[in-house]
Amino acid sequence: MKEQLSQGSMVLKKENNYKNNILKKILKYRILYLFLIPPVIWFFVFGYIPMYGITLAFRDYRFDMGLWHSPWVGFRYVDKFFSYFQFWNLLRNSFLISFMKLLIGFPAPIILALLLNEVRIAKCKRIVQTVSYLPHFVSWVVVATIFTKFLSPHGGFFNDLRQLFGVEPIFYLGQARYFYLTVVFTEVWKGVGFGSIIYLAALSGINPNLYAAASIDGAGKWRSLLHITLPGLAPTISILLILSVGNLMKAGFEQILLFQTPATLTVSEILETYSLKTGLREGNISYATVVGLFQSLVSMALITTANYSARKFSGTSLW
Amino acid sequence: MVIRESLGEKIFRVFNYTALSLLGAATFYPFYYVLVQSLNDGRDALKGGLYFLPRVWTLANYMKAFEDPIIVNAFMITLFRTIVGTVLSVLLTAMAAYALARKDLPGRSAISFYFFVTTIFSGGMIPFFIVLRELHLTSTIWIYILPAVYSFFNLIVMRTYFQSSIPFELWESATIDGYNEQKIFFKIYLPLSLPMLATITLFVGVGHWNDWFTGAYYVTDKKLRPAATILQQILSEANFEQSTDVAGNYRQGSSLVSAANTTPESLRMAFVMIITIPIIFIYPFLQRYFVNGIMIGSIKG
Repeated sequence: MKEQLSQGSMVLKKENNYKNNILKKILKYRILYLFLIPPVIWFFVFGYIPMYGITLAFRDYRFDMGLWHSPWVGFRYVDKFFSYFQFWNLLRNSFLISFMKLLIGFPAPIILALLLNEVRIAKCKRIVQTVSYLPHFVSWVVVATIFTKFLSPHGGFFNDLRQLFGVEPIFYLGQARYFYLTVVFTEVWKGVGFGSIIYLAALSGINPNLYAAASIDGAGKWRSLLHITLPGLAPTISILLILSVGNLMKAGFEQILLFQTPATLTVSEILETYSLKTGLREGNISYATVVGLFQSLVSMALITTANYSARKFSGTSLW
Repeated sequence: MVIRESLGEKIFRVFNYTALSLLGAATFYPFYYVLVQSLNDGRDALKGGLYFLPRVWTLANYMKAFEDPIIVNAFMITLFRTIVGTVLSVLLTAMAAYALARKDLPGRSAISFYFFVTTIFSGGMIPFFIVLRELHLTSTIWIYILPAVYSFFNLIVMRTYFQSSIPFELWESATIDGYNEQKIFFKIYLPLSLPMLATITLFVGVGHWNDWFTGAYYVTDKKLRPAATILQQILSEANFEQSTDVAGNYRQGSSLVSAANTTPESLRMAFVMIITIPIIFIYPFLQRYFVNGIMIGSIKG
C-alpha cells in the first residue's frame, strides 16, 4: 500500500518535472520563439486565410457581408463557369500559350548553357552572361513598353525596316496571328540568360576526367555531348521539366495582360487574365474564384502526372 | 581524321561566337534603342529612322518627366516601398531563418512544415485580394510592404546558409563568452552572411521596384500608384489609342497634344529609362553573389 502510494507520487513528480522541463525549454529558447511569432502570424493571415477564401467559389460574396458571412450557394458559380460560352476558348488559349512557351522556352537556356560552356575566353563568357541576365531583372512593364515601341506602326524599329523595303507597316500587337509569336519571343528574350545559370552550375559539376577519358577513347565533341554532358544534366532537366509542366496552365498573366490589345482577345484571353478582369474589374468575386480554383486544380493534376511519369521513366522526381 | 576534326571544331567555334554575339546584341539593343529615343526630340522622333544616335539631342523628355507631379509622387511611393519593404523583409526573414537554423529548437520541423504548406496550396489571386480588403490594406501604402515581408523560398535559402556556412562552434563559444541570442544574431550571424544577404536584398528590392500589378489591381487609391503601375497605365492608354486610331491620326494627334518638343511616346521612353537605369547599375555588382546564392538554394534547398 505504502509502496503504491510512493509510486503514485513518483509518477506525479515525473509529470511535474516534465511540465517544468517544457517551461524551462520555452524559457531557454524564448528569443528564438519570439523571432518566429511574426512569420507564424504572417503565414496564417496571408497563406491560410486565403486558402479558406477558396470557399468563396461556393458562396455568394457580398461586399457588405465579407469573407466570413457571405451565404452559401453551392455550385451556382461553378455551373455558370462551365457553361460560359468562352470556356473552351479560355482553356485552349491558356494551354496553347504555355505549351508553346514550354516547347521553345524550356530548351533555350539549356542550349545557351551548352554554348557558353564551350567558350574558352573568360571575359567573353562573362560579358554575354552579364548582358543576357539583364532582362530578367527588369519589370514586364518595361519589356512590354520597349517591345510595343519596337513593333509600333508609327516609327517602330520593325516597321521602319519594312518601309525601307517598301512594305506597308503592320500594327503587330493588333493582329491575332502575331500574338503568340510576340509572347513566346519576349518570354525567351527575358528568361533565357537567367535560366541558363542553373544549367551552367550543373555543367561545372560534371567531372572533367570523364571528358579526358572519352577523348583518349577517341570520342569527339559530339559523342562527349551525347554520352557525358547530357546524362550529367539529366537530373536538373527533369526536375525543372516537372515544375514547368505544373505551370502549363499558368501562361504568365503579367506578360499576357501587358501585351494583349482589344483586337487580340480571342487568342490572348487566358484563365488568369479572365479571372482578374471579371473579379477585380467587374466585381464578380465568387465567379472569379471559381475560375482561379479551376486553374489550380488542373495545374495540380498536371504536376502530379508529370511527377509520376518522371519517376517511372527516369527515376528522378520531386517527391 | 585529325584535320577533319579540327575543321569541324573551327566551324563550331565560329558558329558559337556568332550565335552568342547575336544573342548579346539582341538583348542589349532594345534597351539602347529606347535610350536613343528618349534622348531625341519627341516630334522629330515621329519621323522614325532613329537607330544608333539621336538626331536632335535633348533632355526635355527627362525634364518633363521629373516636372510631372504624378510621376514624382509615383517614384516617391516606389522608393519608399523598395527601401522600407526590403529592409523589413530581409531583417525579419533572417531572424526567422536564424531560429529555424537551430537544430535543437523544439518544434522546429513542425513550424517549417506549417510554412511549407502555404507553398503547395494557395488561395489564388482573388481570395488573396479579399483578405487584403478585409484587413483594410487596399487604401494604405502598407499593402505593398506587409504582404511581401516573408517568402518561403528566401527563408529556406537563409536557413540553409546559416546552417552550412557558419560553424555551430562559433555559436557555442559565443554563448560561453556570455552572448545572448540577439547579440549572436546581430553581431555574428548577420555580419558573416553578407554575400547571402546581398543576394536576397537584390531580389527582394528588384521585386518591389518592378511590381506594377499590386498598384494596378489591388490598390483603390490612385495616389498610391508606384512608378511601374503608372508606366503600365500609360502603356495601355497608348495601346488603346493605337488600336482605335486609323494610322496617321496618331502622329498628328500626338503632335497636337504637345506644343513643346515632347510627345507622349518620347516621354514614355524617358520613363522606361528612369525605371531601368538603377537596375542596370546595381545588378552587375551583385552578379557574383547572386550566382552563388542561387547555387546554394538549388543544391541544398
